[in-house]
Amino acid sequence: MLAFTFRRVLVALAVALTVSVASFLLLHLSGDLATAIAGPEATGPQIAQIRQDYGLDQPLLTQFLTWGWRALHLDFGNSFYFRESVIDLLAARLPITLYLGIIALAVALFVAIPLGVVAAVKRDTWIDRTALAVSVLGQAMPSFWFGLTLILIFSVNLRWLPVSGNATWKNFVLPAVALGYYAMPAVMRLTRNGMLEVLASDYVRTARAKGLPPRKILVRHALRNAVIPVIALSAVQFGFMLGGSIVIEAVFSLQGLGQLAWESIARNDFPVVQAIVLVLAMIYIGLTLAADLLNAFLDPRLRQA
Amino acid sequence: MLAALAAPLIAPHDPYAQDVSRRLIPPIWQAKGTWDHVLGTDKLGRDYLSRLLYGGQISLLIGISAALISGLIGTVLGLCAGYFGGWVDSVVSYIVTTRLAMPVVLVALAMAALVGGSLKVVVLVLGFLLWDRFAVVTRAATQQIRNQDFVSAARAAGLTDLRIIRQEILPNIMNALIVVATLEMAHAILLEAALSFLGLGVQPPLPSWGLMIAEGKQYMFFQPWVITIPGVALLLLVLAINLLGDGLRDITAPEARN
Amino acid sequence: MPLRTLTRAATLAATLATSLATLIAAHPALAGKADDTLVYASDSEPENVSPYHNSAREGVILARNCWDTLLYRDPKDCTYKPFLATAWTWTDDTTLDLTIREGVVFHNGDPLGPEDVAFTFNYVLTPEARTVTRQNVDWMKSVEVTGPHSVRIHLKAPFPAALEYLAGPTPIFPAAYFKKVGLDGFAKAPVGSGPYRITKVDSGRGVSMERFDRYWAESPLGKPKIGKLQFRVIPDGESRMAELMTGGVDWIWRVPSDQAEQLRAAPNITVLNSETMRVGFLQFDTLGRAKENSPLKDVRVRQAISYAIDRKAMVDNLVRGASRVMNALCFVDQFGCTDQGVTRYPYDPAKAKALLKDAGYPNGFEIDLGAYRERDYAEAVIGYLGAVGIKARLNYLRYAAFRDSLRAGKTSIGYQTWGSFSVLDVSAFDGVYFRGGEEDLTKDPKVIADLQEGDGSTDPETRKAAYAKALQRIAAEAYALPMFSYSTNYAFTSDLTFTAQPDEVPRFYAASWK
Repeated sequence: MLAFTFRRVLVALAVALTVSVASFLLLHLSGDLATAIAGPEATGPQIAQIRQDYGLDQPLLTQFLTWGWRALHLDFGNSFYFRESVIDLLAARLPITLYLGIIALAVALFVAIPLGVVAAVKRDTWIDRTALAVSVLGQAMPSFWFGLTLILIFSVNLRWLPVSGNATWKNFVLPAVALGYYAMPAVMRLTRNGMLEVLASDYVRTARAKGLPPRKILVRHALRNAVIPVIALSAVQFGFMLGGSIVIEAVFSLQGLGQLAWESIARNDFPVVQAIVLVLAMIYIGLTLAADLLNAFLDPRLRQA
Repeated sequence: MLAALAAPLIAPHDPYAQDVSRRLIPPIWQAKGTWDHVLGTDKLGRDYLSRLLYGGQISLLIGISAALISGLIGTVLGLCAGYFGGWVDSVVSYIVTTRLAMPVVLVALAMAALVGGSLKVVVLVLGFLLWDRFAVVTRAATQQIRNQDFVSAARAAGLTDLRIIRQEILPNIMNALIVVATLEMAHAILLEAALSFLGLGVQPPLPSWGLMIAEGKQYMFFQPWVITIPGVALLLLVLAINLLGDGLRDITAPEARN
Repeated sequence: MPLRTLTRAATLAATLATSLATLIAAHPALAGKADDTLVYASDSEPENVSPYHNSAREGVILARNCWDTLLYRDPKDCTYKPFLATAWTWTDDTTLDLTIREGVVFHNGDPLGPEDVAFTFNYVLTPEARTVTRQNVDWMKSVEVTGPHSVRIHLKAPFPAALEYLAGPTPIFPAAYFKKVGLDGFAKAPVGSGPYRITKVDSGRGVSMERFDRYWAESPLGKPKIGKLQFRVIPDGESRMAELMTGGVDWIWRVPSDQAEQLRAAPNITVLNSETMRVGFLQFDTLGRAKENSPLKDVRVRQAISYAIDRKAMVDNLVRGASRVMNALCFVDQFGCTDQGVTRYPYDPAKAKALLKDAGYPNGFEIDLGAYRERDYAEAVIGYLGAVGIKARLNYLRYAAFRDSLRAGKTSIGYQTWGSFSVLDVSAFDGVYFRGGEEDLTKDPKVIADLQEGDGSTDPETRKAAYAKALQRIAAEAYALPMFSYSTNYAFTSDLTFTAQPDEVPRFYAASWK
């Protein structure tokens, strides 16, 4: 287990390094940084001064090392647009996206796991087929269109929930449903398949033979085993959701990380974009690492991989 | 799908011909609809049905080309990893993990913003981002086949690796690849819609369904058909492609159904 | 790990935790008459709340409601009235003496005096201040305190529009406070002397304000009637509209005409259409910097484009409201603006095609067109160009990126709009785009000379004649195509009494509940 953990952490670190190189290059591909920092009215000598002050006249490798060293210390420089430090901006916006992601995941799990279980138990009945249809629909629907439709129905027509902003938990209901629905099909299919596998396994058969009540078998034996891979998948889905929330945040005017990223892209504010790419990637790497280790811990067979 | 392909033949109007004095005519089933514009007109007085047909063509074009590019990248990587194993496999796994760690929508948006959104850019960006599933599936399938008798026989007969891959392995994993291709096509179409919605995908006046939803958003409260029609069209198209994929999987690998 | 990193990480963690906690425990935002809170929403967030450090309209609104200026322009008769300055005299063409009002206090309690005036202007004139719109201030050379209640402004050259600028984009900062906190501190907790006091700047979300109780009684702005103001940034137009319909916000603007018409029918919502000083225009890359052998270098091509666009049909069907087609590149009510003797380009696609043929482009050409505001208008222009064979590709950007791209010569045709910072003088329009500055894509020495003559002369008739010459040349050479004046649709709760002004500055201090 120790060797496995070590190997996985090493891979995660290597991936993190590659992602940082990629996001570093992203900023440097976006044009002459000195001109961007200096602003539109700067003169030639001023730009040259800034180039020197910011170390932009150094070789790219030196610049990367300096940048990486600072990033390690949570210093991503200043936003071109707001002229305040990027990390402050991120700290203000990240909680909203995290909160949205957590609720969306909760919504997805609360719907998908029971649906998956029922679909497995009532295999090949109309319930199974409906569950499948719901999940296929979830994959086929553009999430922003779904979000807009939710606004139209629940905010404008029924007036049950607010349209935009992040003032209370109510503001998060619709975006979380829109985001969670997209993650639901994968969780449902995995639960269903896991349940089918476990229900067909020897020990469930033994339990049945012993005459245990079906409900007890289902919850205590089958579900517990089937849910393990789902937890790992959830970690990965959570990472995807943080990255995918950009569209949902735009629809619901939620001032989270995604909205900040989108606006920063439109404003050519690349230090912010770069930091967001890096932060999201790091969260994803951390989550998959945790999921891998959890899986390996629970299922020793996987440690060979 | 067929309708989209035949767009130039059946579209009643030029999808770019604007007439601002005939804007926002409602579709035929509403009180003020006319047969001249069956699905009405948009905000610049362009025929909606014609734009929908041409838009479908563009959405399909994006889906197919992106799936082709990503299929090429993913299959090559997956074949190498699965066939050679060892350090090649480790390197490929590492590339796949790195790619998965990059938030797709964000990176696609940033790239489109750097280069400038256009049909070509969208196809290339999506093609270069969506190959991960191809690689994973190809790798697993290749690993299964690699040690089977006919491959060993071919190797014993002194065939080169390239020929083994081309003649023995590739034909056997083709079915799985086609299934992945349909999924990625649907994925690419949805992502293009999201990019266009955020303003960095296909640029007007080209019609794409995502762009039409984005443009129709303005009218969602009072003229909801402007947004509902392309939304439903997109939903149906992606649904059709997904079901096609599922169907193919059922035919080619019935045992994998559950 | 060094201490600094640890502290930074700890602060970050603390911020994350507290904001998560506040999110979970937050109370709904108050809006409306019952709470005496006017919530207004707009799409973008000024990059910095300091009025000299943004060029966003939302920033101008904050500036006018929370800061006072030296002079006041009466919107009724466009005359200048005493504001923070009680009297002013021109000693000569380049020296202006002003007496500063006594008894005015800033929001933090500091008294306002001549030192504050001198500090503000001298500071924004320094290169380090990085004032965003330089032409608002760079007509001043320096400012000195000349007595306990007086200041003297030294001009670089005669500048007859000086009073207009002192009545608009030049608010007064509290010197002591600004020196203490610096620009960064000021942006987070700004202090002015206006009718409303900023209580909170919430990055990405908006700005909260409340009535300033110690606001001086004789102010021409009067005492505000509404207790609290809240500015919410809602980037999405449909979200803004849905918020208004559901009572989440009380006031929105720039509602597209189609939606405004529908909103009119909704109960409890008042819709108001009003012409603004904003004029839309196509700016051409006449020097051909964006594209090799750019067709736009040829005057016939620029004229062809001008004939190809049916501006009247756009105004009648698309823009609607109080908008008017413009023929001269300025807003008609600005001093010096006239379309007398200016070349007109009526809609004539046949003539456009003929001109293109003459210029050697019988089959048209491909070109890029940048835009940052109403996408529909830009798309309509592209549609008209397409009809005469010019295939234009839209490049839709945020304003800052759009402006930078034009300045850098990377855009061939820019769909521009300009609101002149609400300054009623042609210098604030054509001075920006044709006087050789960074926004000037043409750099025609004749136009520059005419504009300089107009800006620098003190005789109104000489000024008018010089500006007319410049405007005529711009139109004859088709350096830019003026489109139309914008009108804006305001939509707000029927509980509110609100009057709009053409300068696109909503005066919330004058609004009241019914």
